[in-house]
Amino acid sequence: MKPGKIGFLSVVMVAVFLIWPMTTLAQSKSETAQTVYFVSSGNLTLDKYFTDLVSENLGPEFKLKPLPKRLPPAKRNHPIITMGPKAFERTYRNTPDAVVVGTFVDREFMDKYATEQNPHISAIYYDVPLLRQALTGKVILPQADKVAILASYVNRDSYDELIEQLPAYGLEGKVFVVTDKDQLIPTVIRALSYGDFILGTSDHDIYHPRNIKHILLTAYRRNKILIGPSQAFVKAGAIASSYAPFSSIAEKTAQYILYYRENANFPAAAYPDSYKVDLNEQVARSLNIPLPERPHVSEAVNELLKNNSRGSIQ
Amino acid sequence: MPDTNCMFYPPRLATRQTRLVVIGGLLSTLGLITTFSANAADAEPAFDRALFAYDSDIPEVLTTTRLRQPKTRVPGSTTVITGDQIRDLGIVNLYEVFRLVPGMVVNFVGSHQPVVTYHGTVHYEQRRMQVLVDGRTAHRATLSDMDWETMPVPLELIERIEVARGPNSAAYGINAFLGTINIITRDPEDTAGTELSFSHGSRDHLRAFGSVGGAGRDLDWRLSYEKRKFGGFDYQIKGGEEAPFNDGHNINFFSYDGRFKLNPDLNIELMTGVIDGVKNQDRGKSGVLEPVDHPDIDVRDYYIKSQLNYSTSEHHFFHFLVSVSNFKRQERYGVELGGAAADCLRNTGGPTLYEEDASGDAPCQARTEGETLLEAQINGDYEDTRLEVEFQDTLLFTDNLKLVSGAGFRKDTLRSETYFNGRVHDYKSRFFGNLEYTPWSWLTLNAGGNWERSSTTDEDYFSPRLATNFIINQHHALRFVYSEAVRTPDSFEQNPRTGFTLTNVRPAQYADLEGRRITIEDAAHSPFQLTLGEELEEERITSHEISYFGQFPLETAILSVEVRGFKDEMRDMVSGVIQLVNWTLGNNVAVDQKGFEVETTLEFPGTALRASYGYLDQDTRYTGPPILDESGNVDTREQDYQAGLLTRMSVRHSGSLSVIQELPSEFKVSSAFYWADEFLRTNNQFERLDLRLAKSFLQPNYTAEVAFTVQHYLNREHELSSDNNIEDHNQFFIEAGVRF
Repeated sequence: MKPGKIGFLSVVMVAVFLIWPMTTLAQSKSETAQTVYFVSSGNLTLDKYFTDLVSENLGPEFKLKPLPKRLPPAKRNHPIITMGPKAFERTYRNTPDAVVVGTFVDREFMDKYATEQNPHISAIYYDVPLLRQALTGKVILPQADKVAILASYVNRDSYDELIEQLPAYGLEGKVFVVTDKDQLIPTVIRALSYGDFILGTSDHDIYHPRNIKHILLTAYRRNKILIGPSQAFVKAGAIASSYAPFSSIAEKTAQYILYYRENANFPAAAYPDSYKVDLNEQVARSLNIPLPERPHVSEAVNELLKNNSRGSIQ
Repeated sequence: MPDTNCMFYPPRLATRQTRLVVIGGLLSTLGLITTFSANAADAEPAFDRALFAYDSDIPEVLTTTRLRQPKTRVPGSTTVITGDQIRDLGIVNLYEVFRLVPGMVVNFVGSHQPVVTYHGTVHYEQRRMQVLVDGRTAHRATLSDMDWETMPVPLELIERIEVARGPNSAAYGINAFLGTINIITRDPEDTAGTELSFSHGSRDHLRAFGSVGGAGRDLDWRLSYEKRKFGGFDYQIKGGEEAPFNDGHNINFFSYDGRFKLNPDLNIELMTGVIDGVKNQDRGKSGVLEPVDHPDIDVRDYYIKSQLNYSTSEHHFFHFLVSVSNFKRQERYGVELGGAAADCLRNTGGPTLYEEDASGDAPCQARTEGETLLEAQINGDYEDTRLEVEFQDTLLFTDNLKLVSGAGFRKDTLRSETYFNGRVHDYKSRFFGNLEYTPWSWLTLNAGGNWERSSTTDEDYFSPRLATNFIINQHHALRFVYSEAVRTPDSFEQNPRTGFTLTNVRPAQYADLEGRRITIEDAAHSPFQLTLGEELEEERITSHEISYFGQFPLETAILSVEVRGFKDEMRDMVSGVIQLVNWTLGNNVAVDQKGFEVETTLEFPGTALRASYGYLDQDTRYTGPPILDESGNVDTREQDYQAGLLTRMSVRHSGSLSVIQELPSEFKVSSAFYWADEFLRTNNQFERLDLRLAKSFLQPNYTAEVAFTVQHYLNREHELSSDNNIEDHNQFFIEAGVRF
């Protein structure tokens, strides 16, 4: 062999010697990475964004994959992250013994599944605790002391706990029951006469696309504001809404997956740990409401909750 | 493999130096990417509708086109009184609301005729403010007056009242001379359901209101009815004795308001109403010649308004408004004349009916005991019909550049044998526009103008307004406003053809006077001072305003303050007397005024405090041609009198204080103190303290309220007329209402 060829082979061998074990090690790691399945929300942008955030929080030991149509029995102990109520419902129906953590689901929705009694099912709530939303209103309107809540007949008793909590924060609340769709506007009018603001809720019989126009326009004409119930309503014309950032939901979801790996069960369904506030500055300006800076609102809400002994809303 | 492509760089780049540069660049890029990613992870991405799976179909409702202008950007000082404030303070009549507005004064002339004025310049007729109800002109330009007691605006239906203080002709046309009152009633959508209310109180006050309505996908509607009954003042003084005062009213008002929603961007509003009733007039205050009956006025008004609203896009919308308002008043009563008066009417070359001789006696008014008096019927009937058409276009080039422009046309037809000897038509057409530009967040500029042509003077006028708002921190604004405005005289002022025709004359000895029309020339007590036939010119105002609006968010409250300083020059003001016995109108007064006004609110949880104050320093002087007395000398007393007519309701200090306090168990207490000090003519003052206690019943299916209000008059001295008397310092009212 020519000395040049020997030199080249030596380099190749050294390279193979050095690189091969690393490749093998990586391959072995990939094979041992735990698969976490996810079920799509139906919104691919959201799916991609959220699963990337969860992956970041889980680290390389976990791999997120879409849930196959048929989950082999051997893999039924792999956690599944569902995004949205439909995804959760479908997964639960198809594989009732699956290990599922629901995201983008409201507390009211999850209550149907009695998650406390099933350690393999849990959730990170998407709706914002109503007390937090009420205090968001209080921070924006420091002079406010009356909170009006619109409720459909079936949900009329859902706010008792909130109404008991409000006085500790210098607020009082009252529920105005919308008995049928023809009674929506008359009830909104009565609620506006009472409250300094309307506290939006996840009562979908009331806060849905067809109704929101009437609620927002009526409130605006009376110089009153709507808080929440979610960020999308702020875009529509609600003055503000607290919301859990996706990063916060993803972080909590990852914590639950890790917890499950260690304990083979989930913690109880819960709200994310941190919230932000979205504000509609144009609406505020038009109503001559001086808005604090966004971070100040969420900090002030946190402060109110922290300073009050009855402030636990989780 | 793509990530090894760097191995295939062309040889010319593969130098050591180049490699270092490439590596350095890559590292920098990587660093930047890493930093960016880290920042992106820290900062949540802005709200992106695409990220929402479930709420994505929530429509954007409060779009830029639907939002009102914030106070920091408004080109001038504006007071907003909400319907809730009015109801919470226990205000009983619409015109009383204006006591809450800095610089505004409310009082009464004639037979309990409310007069609302901003900065005075009023004696009887309310000539210099524009009043609109839902965009429809309520100020009656043909007679330059307002009739507040028959206004088709139940208190329950008031959403809010906006009072733009200062000339506003640039936006509202030539009658918006001193200010503009814009009454906005509740949208029919906001009154869906049923509401009933009733109130009863002192001086035979009675008000009943009912409305029923619905809100649906295609139609929002409301039917309402209101009855207003009131006894007026308790007594007047006649010959030093208390005498009954016939000055109440009994008005019924029916209305239908609807909005037809043809599609999300197009709707048509329809508003119509009928007003029917009686306004009592005391024969000592109203009527001409020698009324033997009270000349009560029978009211039969109606209006219909239709407005098409269309949004072509999120940044462009317009409305087209057509309205017809008809005011029909019948005022028929009997009169008595003595034999001497009858002879004067027969002898057209002799003295006039009320002309006085050198000794101060009126020969035509002389009566002998036992003489047979002439009895006859006369009338003061008139019918005033207004057709109004307006097109207004709003174009938002950007969030910071907005153009409102439009055109309007108005035709007024006045039919009255008595006042116009037939009918009169007036035409007004105008073009207007306002450009609002916010080049920086701290500066808003407004430039507006109104070009208008009026047939009463056959001239056209341009009224400009320029405003600069310096905005600090979005919570404070300092405004500098310059505006000019004109007011043209109305048809009645410009071309009086008043004459009362005697009908049903009896007994037979006076039958020759049947159908005799008694004109101003026949009746004038000082014929040499009549100004009939003199053409009136427009009045002019130049106004400067510096104002500040600020909001101070406190820990548990919010404080709002608005201060307005103004300096106005008014020239060629029309003053004088409009009566059958005297007609002395002329462009003969100049007014210079300056002052300041403060309006402040402080809202705590459960407590709302409000204060308003106005200071007016007004200098009025006669500037017309010399008025001569019968001997040909300058009658300075008459000149001062004419200048003084415009100061009758000019008040140096005025204001209000109010508090609305929520109490436990759905009780609410409110109190308001109103005062107007130093009426320039009488130096007297108006002071009243109101107290209201209300209890609400908030039930799942209905809301009800009962309330009790006391009005306590602190000062018993009359402000304008010694005939305006109430017996009891304390006036009591109870009210009850339910909504479901």
